[in-house]
Amino acid sequence: MKEIIAIIRPNAVSRTAKALEAVGFAAMTVMKCYGRGKQKGYLEANLSDVADIEKILEEGEKEGLFMKYIPKRLISIVVEDEDVPLVVGIIMKMNRTGKIGDGKIFVLPVEDAVRIRTGETGIEAIGN
Amino acid sequence: MSSRSSVVSTGCLGDFMKLVKAIVRPERVDDVVDALQNAGYPSFTKIDVVGRGKQGGLRVGDVIYDELPKTLLLIAVNDDEVGKVVETIKSSAYTGNFGDGKIFIQQIEEAYTIRTGESGI
Repeated sequence: MKEIIAIIRPNAVSRTAKALEAVGFAAMTVMKCYGRGKQKGYLEANLSDVADIEKILEEGEKEGLFMKYIPKRLISIVVEDEDVPLVVGIIMKMNRTGKIGDGKIFVLPVEDAVRIRTGETGIEAIGN
Repeated sequence: MSSRSSVVSTGCLGDFMKLVKAIVRPERVDDVVDALQNAGYPSFTKIDVVGRGKQGGLRVGDVIYDELPKTLLLIAVNDDEVGKVVETIKSSAYTGNFGDGKIFIQQIEEAYTIRTGESGI
């Protein structure tokens, strides 16, 4: 089993959830979170071109051009090993705008899972 | 997108990456974030959480506070940078009192940037 952690834009959660539900991955956990990436929180609205990121960062921190904590949503989905490429692909497709701030996806190993209602463990606990 | 099997078999990401999960005092977060940026790690995710440690919460008179507000920081780094990030968090989140927090490190097998589809951090 793998845990897929995706940090995405808040307004992209519902379409991501719908797309995942359509292919049978209805279960997910969503958390409100804050963060930033390697652009150090520079807002895309202030960047004329994504290609300019390096140049702008080199010029140093500009007052008012960046946000320390950008609101995001963290979604966590636990799936079987063979479903990882499918789920990662769907998340990428539903969230890619090409602008900075689209987010990151991490895939982590999960040792075991337990469904509390029934006591099932392992793959049975995450299946439908 | 690379298939999972190719990522694992070729080891194209070099070594695995690690997810550093740090539970710190909310009032120390700004210091931790600034220290990490100065050390060359500007990226992070922060989540507001509540929790308690082995002291079982905080007792003030007859009242026990067992849901203490904390902040969870998630920082994804390459394997060889874990030590530096952990040291940075340890020194910037330190007050010496109970409740300074914990740091956990988990393995990341794959990582993707959604904007470009690139794998790796």
